[in-house]
Amino acid sequence: MSSLEVLLKDESTRNIRRLLKVVILITIAGAAVSSRLFSVILDPWFNFRASKYLVKNGFYNFWDWFDDRTWHPLGRVTGGTLYPGLMVTSGAIYHILRMLSMPVDIRNICVLLAPAFSGLTALATYLFTKEMKDESAGLLAAAFIGIAPGYISRSVAGSYDNEAIAIFLLMFTFYLWIKALKDGSAFWGALCALFYFYMVAAWGGYVFITNMIPLHAFVLVLMGRYSPRLYVAYTSWFALGTLGSMQIPFVGFLPIRSSEHMAALGVFGLLQIVGFVEFVRDQVPSRQFKTLLKALIFIVFALSSAVLVLLTVSGVIAPWSGRFYSLWDTGYAKIHIPIIASVSEHQPTAWPAFFFDLEMLIWLFPAGIYMCFSTLQDQHVFVIIYGIMASYFAGVMVRLMLTLTPVVCVSAAIALSNILDVYLSIKTPAAPTAGAPSVNERKEKKPRVNILSAGKDSIVGVYSKASKIAVIAAFSIYLFVFVLHCTWVTSNAYSSPSVVLASRMPDGSQHIIDDYREAYYWLRKNTPDDAKIMSWWDYGYQIGGMADRTTLVDNNTWNNTHIATVGKAMSAREEVAYPILRQHDVDYVLVIFGGLLGYSGDDINKFLWMIRIAEGVWPDEVKERDFFTPHGEYRVDDGATDTMKNSLMYKMSYYNYQSLFPAGQAQDRVRNAKLPAVGPTLSILDEAFTSENWIVRIYKVKDLDNLGRDHLSAAAFDAGKKKSKRTKANKGSQRKLRVV
Amino acid sequence: MRLQLQSDMASRTAFLLFFVNLFVSWVSATPLTGGRVLAVIEEQYDSTKYSQFLMDLKGRGYDVKLEPAKKDTLSLFEHGEKVWDHVILFPPKFKGYGPALTPQKLLEFTKLGGNVLILTSPSSIPEQVRELARELDIGLPPKDYITVDHFNYDTVSKSEKHDVILANRPAVSPAVHNYFSGKQDDLIAFRGAGHTLGNGPLLVPLLTAPRTAYTYDSKEDFAYAQDPWAAGTQMQLVSAMQARNNARITLVGSVDMFSNEFFDMKVQKPGSTKPQKTANKEFCRDVAAWTFGEKGIVKVNSIKHYLSNEPNAPVNPNMYRIKNDVTFEIELSEYDIDRWVPFKVPSGDSLQLEFTMLDPYYRVPLLPSSTSSNATTFTTSFKIPDQHGVFAFRVNYKRPYITYIDEKYSVTVRHFAHDEYTRSWDISGAWVWIAGIAVTIIGWIGFCALWLWSAPAAAKVGVKKTQ
Repeated sequence: MSSLEVLLKDESTRNIRRLLKVVILITIAGAAVSSRLFSVILDPWFNFRASKYLVKNGFYNFWDWFDDRTWHPLGRVTGGTLYPGLMVTSGAIYHILRMLSMPVDIRNICVLLAPAFSGLTALATYLFTKEMKDESAGLLAAAFIGIAPGYISRSVAGSYDNEAIAIFLLMFTFYLWIKALKDGSAFWGALCALFYFYMVAAWGGYVFITNMIPLHAFVLVLMGRYSPRLYVAYTSWFALGTLGSMQIPFVGFLPIRSSEHMAALGVFGLLQIVGFVEFVRDQVPSRQFKTLLKALIFIVFALSSAVLVLLTVSGVIAPWSGRFYSLWDTGYAKIHIPIIASVSEHQPTAWPAFFFDLEMLIWLFPAGIYMCFSTLQDQHVFVIIYGIMASYFAGVMVRLMLTLTPVVCVSAAIALSNILDVYLSIKTPAAPTAGAPSVNERKEKKPRVNILSAGKDSIVGVYSKASKIAVIAAFSIYLFVFVLHCTWVTSNAYSSPSVVLASRMPDGSQHIIDDYREAYYWLRKNTPDDAKIMSWWDYGYQIGGMADRTTLVDNNTWNNTHIATVGKAMSAREEVAYPILRQHDVDYVLVIFGGLLGYSGDDINKFLWMIRIAEGVWPDEVKERDFFTPHGEYRVDDGATDTMKNSLMYKMSYYNYQSLFPAGQAQDRVRNAKLPAVGPTLSILDEAFTSENWIVRIYKVKDLDNLGRDHLSAAAFDAGKKKSKRTKANKGSQRKLRVV
Repeated sequence: MRLQLQSDMASRTAFLLFFVNLFVSWVSATPLTGGRVLAVIEEQYDSTKYSQFLMDLKGRGYDVKLEPAKKDTLSLFEHGEKVWDHVILFPPKFKGYGPALTPQKLLEFTKLGGNVLILTSPSSIPEQVRELARELDIGLPPKDYITVDHFNYDTVSKSEKHDVILANRPAVSPAVHNYFSGKQDDLIAFRGAGHTLGNGPLLVPLLTAPRTAYTYDSKEDFAYAQDPWAAGTQMQLVSAMQARNNARITLVGSVDMFSNEFFDMKVQKPGSTKPQKTANKEFCRDVAAWTFGEKGIVKVNSIKHYLSNEPNAPVNPNMYRIKNDVTFEIELSEYDIDRWVPFKVPSGDSLQLEFTMLDPYYRVPLLPSSTSSNATTFTTSFKIPDQHGVFAFRVNYKRPYITYIDEKYSVTVRHFAHDEYTRSWDISGAWVWIAGIAVTIIGWIGFCALWLWSAPAAAKVGVKKTQ
């Protein structure tokens, strides 16, 4: 135990310690908030729009909100298909501030909500880690989570997404669960259920909690650690939490009908049985008990599996959803649900990302898990399970790095705090004698006989001051570099919103490329209020929010067929696309083109996903193979296939692009391709707007031809081309007769 | 010229009364679609050949201006606006029309709502007209092809070629408004070439050739056709395209039809006993009147939709709820030469309302509910389907000869709000479960009471305490 610790453990300095703790936590929260303020641009716009609607129309109207400005013409039952937690939170803050006569614009609340909640996350992590080890580990964990890039990536100012509050709720729910489990308290269990309910209201990732807590309980039962504490904590959490979660319209009856929630239900049932068995064991002599137990286990197992099979077959319980399958088989989504695979954050994580997002924490993480094994109380089992599950998920999907970050921070803090405990101790241990008191063990429980913790009684401390100084110095440097890394990553990688692109000029000054906002502003000012804009779904929220126009599809990808329809229109020939555009009342089509600037996130690069998604719905009409050359290349230059060259997306991207270059010199800087000398022609669309750097291109859909001709011949006629004389062709040959 | 017209009329006492009536009413009216008519005609000499037709137009309030085809200053537009409301193209004397009348310009003119009446003769179909006809999907015969009929020709004019065809008025179908069916025994004299029509829905025949007519190359040596270019009812003598913006382009295969000569001609079919006067005058007036929008113009005066069973429901709300009962009303008027009259749906036809989102969910007939002096109101009521989304009330009534009616009004259909579902106690099937809840609550309270009041024996408690 370090001398500082000894000093701080002293009764007389308790107030100083408390003050110090509060000051440290506030400083951590301050650091967490301020490191998230590098650049502020609101995104995603839908949540902001929803919050505005909530503040303007009140809660009940929000609850019943039918949004006719998206998913035209299907509309969206928004109130019933979103997680309202985020909007309700900011709405509540808005009203509280107004009550305190501080009229703050809802926009400011939305922008600053994520940093504010990151401060709370630090607090929750502190509490959680404190339950694992002690306060110093808690403070370290709080500091880590405050600045870890893995979490900052989703919580910079203006990143107004569900994850902004969800990570706080996740950690706090876990803390309450541990607390409830430790105390065997129905009160803490109920609190845990309450925050679980809040989590359900806030983020679809609540399923992680729904499965983590039962898994923890299940493992504890398997380890023979069943206790009435577990029973009380789990049943109170499950009963109240499930009832609570069913109050969210989007969740509804899922908790009792979908496979994702069956684990929680199953463990609930198991605990009843185990509890009953324990009760019986108290009453019955042990030999009869064994027979009884065998019979009971057999009957229960047979009954429950029969019921489960029956319910699944009869369709009462929904099978696992596709998103869930894709967690187990990384190739699943690519084949069956391209819409999920098309999102970059659903891709498997590249290994440098772990280091990029977590830096030194990633190698402290296993050490921390080891420390948990060496103590292995009920709560440490939780950290171990959480660590294993989250590592796996983070490896499968980039996005789930977010759920891994807290547990990495916690276990790294445990490890580092252990190291500091040992090496910061000024006291030199006495001569090695067997049975010396261990330095870093809390003696709440009798240590268990465990291979992993076999050597713990032999820990005596460090003798040499030099090694202490060396280790401490090394770790100080590590920590210092960690802070530098976090700051650098935050300012460079995670603070550049997708709406505005920043680049460096030759002289080093920053150059802002603001094509998106320019185009959205153009739409807002130059199109009728009820104009329908078709674009790929990535831009749906932005168009809805910044341009205030109706979109066909948006980032809430609830209707795969509708998205596939857009994909089909984009990948089809003009004459095939036109009826689709007409049917959906499309007035303008918006595409993103990065060829001039070398902006690689453009629609031609996303095009294959559009094709795949469309192919999933219309395998006979859209074929991915047709967009590849016979050698299997995806090309846009002269070697591109006819299907590619005739697709609406290709035409819209490269229309008129050749005019920027000397004849035959047109160059696509993203794909490094020399384009055909003659550019594509468009007959069903008119170019309406092209932004400064050609990133956003907007086309107006032509009306039906006044004379009932197809657009191609109408355009040819307007261009002065003469038709072949039909009269001569008719002579002698079979005449086309008019149907009378 | 008006005097001349009147003197013409005076000589025909049979029509006098009729004409005076019409004249009085027409002269005071300015035509609905505007009265500026450009007649592209070569010379004053030519115009006298068609004076009756032109006089008739003037008499109906049109301001007809005659211009030669190649006049330099001729233009259809000024500052992007059309300077004429209607154009009549007579066949040019020379090779073609001037640069002001290219097919592109003429189509631009129609795009702005102008109507065009094109008169052709077999010997002079300029390239501009051919090109235009190709765009309209009308097949024009090559030069000097003429249409003849050896069964329905005029015996009076003693042409050996049988090239003055006598066609009957088109037959009346009960399903369409037909503005060209006069008396059934009317004979319309035609000397020129027929044409064929493509299958486009915007093309309508105004006068179809008799079954025995055919078109052949008159320059061939044979007095008959070896290889007729077109024949029978596939061949049209007068046809029209009503563009999507309701501008009308009418193509006539014979300019002679409109001449004074044919207007006054007495004709006789082979086999008939006595010659009769042609109906060309009336028919040509019908053609011009329809082309210039005196007839067959239908307008939507108002559209109303509201909740059926709420007396004070707001009219034309933007939002309905699923399963609402709504009533839809549309008020239609038809223009008849000089005034608006109530629109009538032909007996064999039906005006329908579609309630549509991507595809029609409902297609219900709109029935006339009330008629005022100049409009008919068509109404229907229905229950909104159990599907939310952005729906449209759509009346898509596109019929030949009348203005296309395509009215689309979007409304949002929302889902049930959280407090609009039936309450659980109103559903009889739920009573079992409500009773179950009540029993559980009562049972639990009873159990608690039982537990609290049946305290265990004191001795036993003491035993437990010692443990």
